[in-house]
Amino acid sequence: MALSLGLALIVVMAAIYIFAPQLLPADVPTRLQDGVTLALSVLIESLPFVALGVVLSILVQVWLPAGVLERWMPRRAWARRAVLSLLGMIVPVCECGNVPFARGLLMRGFSVSETMTFLIAAPIVNPIVIITTHQAFGFSDGILIARLVGGYAVANLIGWLYSRHPSPDALLTDRFRATCEVVVHERGGRGRRSLAQFLVELRAVMPALVIGSALAGAVQVLVPRNALLAIGSNPVLSIVAMMALAIVVSICSNIDAFFALSFASTFTPGSLVAFLVTGPLVDVKMIALLRTTFSTRALVGIVTTVLLFAFALGAVVNLLA
Amino acid sequence: MRSVLTRWLGAGLAAALAVITLVLAVTGRIGLYINPDGAWFAIGMAVVVLVGTALSFVLPLGAEDDHGHDHGEVHHDDHAHHAHERRVSPGALAAVAGGVLASGVVVTMLALPPASLSAELAASRDVGAPPLFAGSDVVSLASTGDTSKFGVGDWAAVFATATNPDAFEGDAVTLTGFVSGDTDGGFDLSRLVITHCVIDAQPARLAISADAAPPSTGQWVTVSGTVRATGSGQLAIVAEQVTPIDEPSDPYEY
Repeated sequence: MALSLGLALIVVMAAIYIFAPQLLPADVPTRLQDGVTLALSVLIESLPFVALGVVLSILVQVWLPAGVLERWMPRRAWARRAVLSLLGMIVPVCECGNVPFARGLLMRGFSVSETMTFLIAAPIVNPIVIITTHQAFGFSDGILIARLVGGYAVANLIGWLYSRHPSPDALLTDRFRATCEVVVHERGGRGRRSLAQFLVELRAVMPALVIGSALAGAVQVLVPRNALLAIGSNPVLSIVAMMALAIVVSICSNIDAFFALSFASTFTPGSLVAFLVTGPLVDVKMIALLRTTFSTRALVGIVTTVLLFAFALGAVVNLLA
Repeated sequence: MRSVLTRWLGAGLAAALAVITLVLAVTGRIGLYINPDGAWFAIGMAVVVLVGTALSFVLPLGAEDDHGHDHGEVHHDDHAHHAHERRVSPGALAAVAGGVLASGVVVTMLALPPASLSAELAASRDVGAPPLFAGSDVVSLASTGDTSKFGVGDWAAVFATATNPDAFEGDAVTLTGFVSGDTDGGFDLSRLVITHCVIDAQPARLAISADAAPPSTGQWVTVSGTVRATGSGQLAIVAEQVTPIDEPSDPYEY
């Protein structure tokens, strides 16, 4: 009975999507239509990764026996973080899917700074990103190496900084702490707990994902790209411009190298590296997603650290290249 | 009421997007949003989301945040306290506003017909940088011979990077794209090229020289002509025929 209600709702939504456009007036302003198209494309692209992240989070939280992950972890805090920042090499999620997966790690008892380290390293230090960045740039100008080493380093830097925080719980949102309490004390069969986790995680991530994607779409149709790119060859301003572009465009880290490649002829190599390090970690979509779990203060700290680090890295590459 | 909202903002929004994905895939229009080569993953996970959503109806409303209640008064009080705090804090207002906004966006997406990006947007993205979509593969492919399947994006990459323009002299081309502006003695032909999804769409642009008056900007056309190396070593396409057409059902190149 309940199941058929669920199915009925899905059919109704499909009917709305198929028939509503024919009933409504077709004159939508071009910019609004473009913004919706862009936002929807980001959502269609990222939904499967979010779903995969939720599934993995359920696996980690509900199905993996206690101690299995923990047994493999080194004892020392810095070594644990160093290992966790390589977890992205074997966990097949991209930046959007990382957030629900990282929440699963937190609920399982990993510390806040350890989880942050994973969350910030994984979008860059993962096989798909390495392959696509290599396809785009090869080893020219050290862009690939700078990106990988930079991503790994900034993740461990942030993990180390926040491991010194006196009360790590204050880095999380009240809402997420409440969720943790509920989940940890949950009872019932594994199937039931899996379904509950499915609902809890989607509830946490979906509104942020939708708003982040809508923002990304809106910014793209409202901010003229020329305004950012007029300053491509200046060694300092070009870095700032590419970082601003990275925050604005919210392209998945799996393929942002191809996007960056089209700027290679007009922009400095350092600015491309800054773009490739900034985008996966703190673009508008990602900030909205991180806000589901981390407090505003913690988020400001993370964003500031990443931006300063990316700028410094870009400047060093420009000096050496 | 509260628990219905919780479900809508999580599984509901996800299910709506999964439905959109599947309807687009079934009607063959998924290419308007993402590269069809990668669509199998989006389709598979959309099915997972829908199965999960349908199954979640078995769980009584509110079950996902009720589990603490069996664990004695302390927890119960804790939750009541939290809930109370949430109702009055600015954070709660933001959460409500966010929920309304997210719902509005998704409902708009459900209600609007699928659409491609406008020519104006393509023009505003054109920053004059030559597109190098697939690295150097295309150019090496081009110099080995078969250019019959080349689109606007491939040719734009070749034109921008070819080291021996003469190799392409005389190649016959038939290209579809939209007019993105007049030039001296012709017009620019553009097409958006997608790597992964529409948000990374980049305009590729080719200079076409044609004798007839150029079509209006934004008009889709099919151009047949020949590649010619100009005196300065640049490549250009000399059009023999320019036919105005309706926007094709697959407006992008991948």
